[in-house]
Amino acid sequence: MARMKFLCDADRCIECNACVTACKNENEVPWGVNRRRVVTINDGKPGERSISMACMHCTDAPCMAVCPVDCFYNTADGVVLHNKDLCIGCGYCFYACPFGAPQYPKVGNFGSRGKMDKCTYCSGGPEADLSPAEFQKYGSNRLAEGKLPLCAEMCSTKSLLAGDGDIIAQIYKERVVKRGYGSGAWGWQTAYKETIAI
Amino acid sequence: MSKTTNEPGKPAVDRRSFFKALGAGATLAATPAMVTPAAAVDPGKEESKARYRESEHVKDFYRVNRY
Repeated sequence: MARMKFLCDADRCIECNACVTACKNENEVPWGVNRRRVVTINDGKPGERSISMACMHCTDAPCMAVCPVDCFYNTADGVVLHNKDLCIGCGYCFYACPFGAPQYPKVGNFGSRGKMDKCTYCSGGPEADLSPAEFQKYGSNRLAEGKLPLCAEMCSTKSLLAGDGDIIAQIYKERVVKRGYGSGAWGWQTAYKETIAI
Repeated sequence: MSKTTNEPGKPAVDRRSFFKALGAGATLAATPAMVTPAAAVDPGKEESKARYRESEHVKDFYRVNRY
């Protein structure tokens, strides 16, 4: 069974933010919520790197572990989804997530957060596939249409990969072999220190 | 002078025993609801089914990403 994953090739990302815009438009994400963001490290300095970040659809998701109302669930293809009808907007998932993926519209009274919103891997929610109710709560369901998340499909430099984890890992490996180095991999410097030049 | 409930020979249902009985009754009534086992949310097979399929569109995406 294919497991859905995102992989951002940091050597190719040019911080154009097209993925962010594509996501917001495709899913009609409300004001104040960004399901995807581009993070730049060492901005303006030599060795600057940008990475497009969203929910990473963890195998053992911490948000799922801490949710007091158990509103999260895994799909058979490894996507972490949640049920907005059950969410109480407590914010535990926001604190648990290492990527800052859960977001809140903050439209409730008395400063309440409102229902949590996060990347759905463009695969909707618990409502019937491609129904108006699903679109209104969770955005589009491109996976049910036989497509992949729009953020990855829109990426002009093909930096953001999405799809079957095995296939995109293979594509990334081929790129690394062609380049002759693997600096795009996260943690490269941590693992190999400065001994291998980029 | 008004009568008190502590008068000897009278069935004394004073305020304290009344609330004691009321509390015991409420506890008994609430017990079945409290022992109901908690059930985790089961999203169901339909909701958690795999939606990904390797369509021509997806194959094209993989192909152009190899450039």
